[in-house]
Amino acid sequence: MSVRLNPDLRNELVRFGIGDWNACYHCGTCTAICPLSEEGFLFPRKKIRLMQMGLESQLESSVEPWLCYYCGDCTKTCPRDANPGELMMSLRRYLTSTYDWTGLSKKFYTSEVWELAWILFFAILVVISFLVVLPSFGYQYTAELTPEGGVKVNSFAPIPIVEAFDWIMALIVASLLISNIIRMYYKIIWKNSKTKVSLWVHIREFWLLIFNFAVQPKFSKCDDKRYWLSHWFLMSGYTIMFIVIVVYLPWFQTEEILPVWDPQRWLGYYATFGLLFGLTVAIIGRFRKKDVKFQFSHISDWLFLIMLTLTVITGILIHIFRINGMPMATFISYIAHMAVLVPMILIEVPFSKWSHLAYRPFAVYFTQLKKHAVPK
Amino acid sequence: MEEPRIGVYVCWCGTNISKMVDVEKVADEVSKLTHVVIAKNYKYMCSDPGQELIIKDIHGHKLNRVVVAACSPRIHELTFRNAVEKAGINPYLFEMANIREQDSWVHTDRVEATSKALDLIVAAIQRVKYHEPLQKRSVTVDPATLVIGGGISGMAAALEIANAGKKVFLIEKTNQLGGQVAKLDLTFPHLSSAQQLIQPFIQGTENHPNIEVFLNTEIRDVTGYIGNFKSTVQMAENENIELKFGNIIAAVGLKPFDPSKIEEYGYGRFPDVITSLEFEEMLSKGNILTKYGKEPRNIAIIHCVGSRNKKYHPYCSRTCCMAALKYVHEIRACLPSANIFEIYADMRAYGKGHEEFYALTTHKQIIFLMYDQQEALPVIRHANKNDNCNMIIEMNEKLSGESIEVPVDMVILMVNMEAHDNVKEVVRAIGVSLCGNQFFIEKHPKLDPVATTTGGVFIVGTCQGPKDIPDSVAQARAAAARILATIAQGSVAVEVTTACVNENLCCGCQTCVRVCPYGAISYNQEKRVSEVNEVLCKGCGTCGSACPTGAISSKHFTDKQILAEIEGIMSMSFKGA
Repeated sequence: MSVRLNPDLRNELVRFGIGDWNACYHCGTCTAICPLSEEGFLFPRKKIRLMQMGLESQLESSVEPWLCYYCGDCTKTCPRDANPGELMMSLRRYLTSTYDWTGLSKKFYTSEVWELAWILFFAILVVISFLVVLPSFGYQYTAELTPEGGVKVNSFAPIPIVEAFDWIMALIVASLLISNIIRMYYKIIWKNSKTKVSLWVHIREFWLLIFNFAVQPKFSKCDDKRYWLSHWFLMSGYTIMFIVIVVYLPWFQTEEILPVWDPQRWLGYYATFGLLFGLTVAIIGRFRKKDVKFQFSHISDWLFLIMLTLTVITGILIHIFRINGMPMATFISYIAHMAVLVPMILIEVPFSKWSHLAYRPFAVYFTQLKKHAVPK
Repeated sequence: MEEPRIGVYVCWCGTNISKMVDVEKVADEVSKLTHVVIAKNYKYMCSDPGQELIIKDIHGHKLNRVVVAACSPRIHELTFRNAVEKAGINPYLFEMANIREQDSWVHTDRVEATSKALDLIVAAIQRVKYHEPLQKRSVTVDPATLVIGGGISGMAAALEIANAGKKVFLIEKTNQLGGQVAKLDLTFPHLSSAQQLIQPFIQGTENHPNIEVFLNTEIRDVTGYIGNFKSTVQMAENENIELKFGNIIAAVGLKPFDPSKIEEYGYGRFPDVITSLEFEEMLSKGNILTKYGKEPRNIAIIHCVGSRNKKYHPYCSRTCCMAALKYVHEIRACLPSANIFEIYADMRAYGKGHEEFYALTTHKQIIFLMYDQQEALPVIRHANKNDNCNMIIEMNEKLSGESIEVPVDMVILMVNMEAHDNVKEVVRAIGVSLCGNQFFIEKHPKLDPVATTTGGVFIVGTCQGPKDIPDSVAQARAAAARILATIAQGSVAVEVTTACVNENLCCGCQTCVRVCPYGAISYNQEKRVSEVNEVLCKGCGTCGSACPTGAISSKHFTDKQILAEIEGIMSMSFKGA
């Protein structure tokens, strides 16, 4: 069966950061050098070809871009300076937008104004909530300190309300991500008219999801292991923080100053360290532009780093100000923290760069399913 | 016949020969043969001291025959002929044995190579004994030149000769000068205007006092030979004019391939499937529109139409890839947002600046799609109503392995260049030969690319094979230089080793007349024997081998000489075995 080209796809892909895609003349050096490319899942060359031709449906059903962790070896060895690594990165952005049924992802990726406006909108909502809405219900800032000399955080940020809000946010994000993953599954596995995958295979391979999420073994196969390590610190820090904020908020956001050996303290410190370490490596990398993976920064790459860094810094400030009894400083940094965190979670996680936390492990899972697919 | 006194010289060719052939032993062995007065070996026989050695021996030992065993006679036969002539011997009393290309370079066993060298040299010694002195001859050259074809090659050659003050007759079968170049809009890779190139040529040719242009004129018959040709041309008013000229330049060009032969492309069925030349015309007019008067959104350019395909033409037309890339620039200038598909078989960018032009064009947001000539050609069909395009091209895309459908509104076919239908008439008239692709055959593909095997007849431009403007003009000016050289000399040397007829043996069967590729043999009705025109004869020997009565022999290739050579080659090692 023949596939119709979409000649206008190139104009669209350019907006996702694809540069000079016609430079590639298909020598296949990139595919040969890639430690992750394997029989049946060959990239980057094959994907570049689909891109060049505008084979939209083929591209949308590709799982390969998610199997690339951007070590940059392909770009370094490309004889035509076609930059296959960045082409794969751009494809991941494009795929994220095709999985998203709301169409917002495409908007955010292709329009900086649109993205910044929404971030600002959510930030303002947060500020209004803390300055107007919550005080009208009696939750307001107080200069009073706890007997130990800590700040009374719960007075302006009541745990039940923040926790309820956390859960609502988590549910929204989760439902968006899950529905998008279903769409991803439909495009990659279900729509394939030639092969089918048995239910048993689905169940048997499911454990891969958790394993891949926790360890990222694919990433560690890249020749340069440093980025796997820094990414792992960032990811583990983020995950711990996410869990304690959403699931264990009453335990985490205490007014009481717990001893340093309490898990609340050291888990928080580890998560902060992990996040800071990963972020520092990425930010310095993107400034130095020495490694291929950091040479080309799309606006979404920078926004992701800036917002996460601001979240971490304001989080650290809250902690310092709180245990040192500085109520106003704590109040301001708490609002700032939430004003960055909320839009970051609502925009970046389901619609932008952060969605990869879901798509990557699922891509490995789907790859495994494809390997065990049988002809219909 | 005087007693042969032969000098044999074995060359080392540095180590080229000496490492595989025991040159000293060979020289020693041959010195023992009868009639061999002296046999020597030397490091480089072709060097000045090497030649001096021969000259000194001819004087000192009163030699009257010389054999040099060295490289191919193609390389140094003339060198040694000149050397022996300098010493006062007729240059044809010389023979060369090729012990390099035919021996040392191709063998690995030194003993056997040495024995083979000996065989080859003995053959030359036996042959040279029967050599006869031949006299060099020359004919005068008429300073006028006939140029056939008024395209860019013909005009470039005509102007070059005319500017040197010599007369040129230029005949053109259509009613205007300019040829194919006049039909182009821009040229690759500099995107300069074709009109700006060709118009000064046309005006220069038309107004040149030394060029006489005959439009609407075709060549019929040419008689005569190098330096002294004659032809009658028929003008439009049925007036016949006889022209005399010393040299001929054929610049008849090629014509575009008719793509309606290719069913898949539907040329003629689809109004918006057009040839590259039709597109050039559209570009010259300044707007790109479909037959319905709309601007096309998707334009496909199909390469190799009729080229590199066993069914049509096996050869590459050489200019179409770059012309197709040129269209990208021209389309972009008119329709900046149009989608352009380059549907190619292989991208060929062999010329100066071509690769750079290709690289530049790839940045113009075009989609390259590769098809496999040997597998299946793309197929064009009508689009459906809701397809939002005019036509659909179905093809197997080679680089992705996908069967795809390309939506298009206009298709440009990059048509191959092929020979004119009546090319055989021209070929017969001027006495040149055609290759399998109907291109004129040059004398030597590398070393003599504008001359032909017929003296005084030169081929330039695309009739010799598809080529672009710079190559055509280079050939034209090269041919002009060759002709001006003979005109400046006033005379030209003709072949000495021609055929000759022994009238007593000739039975008048005319077999030789039919087989002669140069039209050099005619039949004398009165005497009832064949006669050889020694100016036209190239000494190929075809007539000699065809002659049933043995009446024809070729000078320097007589039966006696060849049999002696064979005897010589058999005498040493075969005797031993």
